[in-house]
Amino acid sequence: MKFHLVLNGKPGRIEILAPAPECRFRIDQEPSREAQVEIPEPGVYSILMKGRSYDARVEETANGLVVVIDGFRFEAEVTDPRRWVRSSGGKGGKGVQSMVAPMPGKVVRVLVSPGEEVAAGQGIAVVEAMKMQNELKAARAGRVLTVTAREGATVAAGDVLATIE
Amino acid sequence: MFRKVLIANRGEIAVRVMRTLREMGIGTVAVYSDADRTSLHVRMADEAEHIGPPPSAESYLRIDRILDAARKHGVEAVHPGYGFLSENADFAAACEDAGLVFIGPSAHSIRAMGSKTAARQTAIAAGTPVVPGTDRSVTVEEAHRFAKTHGYPILLKAVAGGGGKGMRRVDREADLDAAFRDAASEAERSFKSPEIYVEKLVEKPRHIEIQLLGDRHGNMVHLGERECSIQRRHQKVMEECPSPLVALHPEMRQAMGEAAIRAARAAAYYNAGTVEFLVDREGRFYFLEMNTRLQVEHPVTELVTGLDLVKLQVEIAAGERLPFEQNEVAWRGWAFECRIYAEDPFNGFLPYPGKLTRLTRPLGPGIRLDACVYDGWTVPMEYDPLLAKLAVWAATREEAAARLLRALREYDVGGIRTNIGFFRQIVEDDEFRAGRLHTGFIEEFFARREPPVPPPDFAAVAALAAALHTAARNGTGSANGVPGNAWREAGRNELLR
Repeated sequence: MKFHLVLNGKPGRIEILAPAPECRFRIDQEPSREAQVEIPEPGVYSILMKGRSYDARVEETANGLVVVIDGFRFEAEVTDPRRWVRSSGGKGGKGVQSMVAPMPGKVVRVLVSPGEEVAAGQGIAVVEAMKMQNELKAARAGRVLTVTAREGATVAAGDVLATIE
Repeated sequence: MFRKVLIANRGEIAVRVMRTLREMGIGTVAVYSDADRTSLHVRMADEAEHIGPPPSAESYLRIDRILDAARKHGVEAVHPGYGFLSENADFAAACEDAGLVFIGPSAHSIRAMGSKTAARQTAIAAGTPVVPGTDRSVTVEEAHRFAKTHGYPILLKAVAGGGGKGMRRVDREADLDAAFRDAASEAERSFKSPEIYVEKLVEKPRHIEIQLLGDRHGNMVHLGERECSIQRRHQKVMEECPSPLVALHPEMRQAMGEAAIRAARAAAYYNAGTVEFLVDREGRFYFLEMNTRLQVEHPVTELVTGLDLVKLQVEIAAGERLPFEQNEVAWRGWAFECRIYAEDPFNGFLPYPGKLTRLTRPLGPGIRLDACVYDGWTVPMEYDPLLAKLAVWAATREEAAARLLRALREYDVGGIRTNIGFFRQIVEDDEFRAGRLHTGFIEEFFARREPPVPPPDFAAVAALAAALHTAARNGTGSANGVPGNAWREAGRNELLR
């Protein structure tokens, strides 16, 4: 099984040559490696490799997978080229920036409407959580395509609040 | 002794108080808002009463509803915890009027120490040192005279001010006239009042506080200091006992302890309380304010003194005498506490409420965890995002720091972001290890910090875990999560080639 993989922004490939528990795998053109893999708890991969023990904790988020090993965080996007099924939602089409909620909270104010031209750094919406208000700003200039955020609505981290072209 | 006590609070402190009450054989009554029905303090309590919708103003701050709950459940006393109504003199008075014992100081003491200005006057009257300042509006000539007496740098502040408006730092005499003019006109624009007062600026101060305990028979002791210099947004995130500075200058503990007791006595104080001091680089200390309640960071004092502050609070409230004298208080070893928050320290400390999908707690020697979380719990977005307080004890500061690092490595919380990894970096920081702390520590830490680099093979292991997880999810997966159908399908694909 081959997967395309983007790990902390770095693209690559991983091929699983033998399944768990006695796992063999190859990353890019490197020599193949062996690892003993067990899943003691859901989402937790106990991996023994070259005599070392790793607990890799895998979490599914809005933007893909997050793997945490001894406090180190790896953001992973895995795609199966045979299926073209993304492991996650995507970032939208070319040239469109999605304004996503960086944290769960409540939309207290929506500052733009569809069709409006916005400048880079302009406030798009204000989200409140735990008594703190945070203004989400446009990363670059453009025209507002859609506004899905509604004042008073509760949003989860990763929810799209607006899109900008 | 009381038979039943209501805890007018939520989260970890409600759980903390209940633990001691249970050890004392006292019944516990929880109160909760709609957001907290499944919170741990409700699940742990003997009895529980609903007090309103999620916003605190409609639940945890509603004196009438809390007193109704107290009457309905027949409690004899109320423990306010910290935050919410704990420093509300009207609540303390309302409890007494309703025939309930408020586990804390009198309403009179809360008022005397309630506002910063009232507390400053109380401290000055008691002869406790305060940051030198004029306490009233001055002319530019008076500002010059103040600076001559106390030295530069000084701070000009708007009398009607707040939020840094109308505030100017002045480092030398030549700048004073212009700074005074600017501050006054900014104050005029912002607050419609050009009045300016002057304060001595304490540079890179430490925040060190003294824990006090007094009974209703006039006895009062101090339980030593806590250093709380590591702060973000002017809020403590990490505390320790003893203070590394006081450990180098042991005479400071007695001097600060006595100054704190003087200030508290001036307010006729009893029960647990904390006097906060700013300490400058020469070790001079200045009264900042008094917290008329149990502090968040009380566990480090408990670990080092071996006392249970909540138990002592309850006994004092029940009219008992302090069971020991000042010379019987002993400090042993070193303790740290980290406030574990649902927040992202590397993204402006943004709060990060949500559902916990995984939880592994640190265990083993010298660990104390005061928490309100469990696997599957959703951190409500309505309240302070404090999940837990991780405290450790060891014989020396160095050993305690090593233990803290070990505990932080064991601590895993999934589904939300926390500041656990941030604390690991702080504990490994050279300045922290050397005990060179001040209230601007975190800002300077961010400036000098180098993000830790994962050891070799971590990326390969992460890639493998991510790939196996995706394979298991795309297929139906076998019992142990190892790819089943997906694997067979891959085999078929190979055959079709």
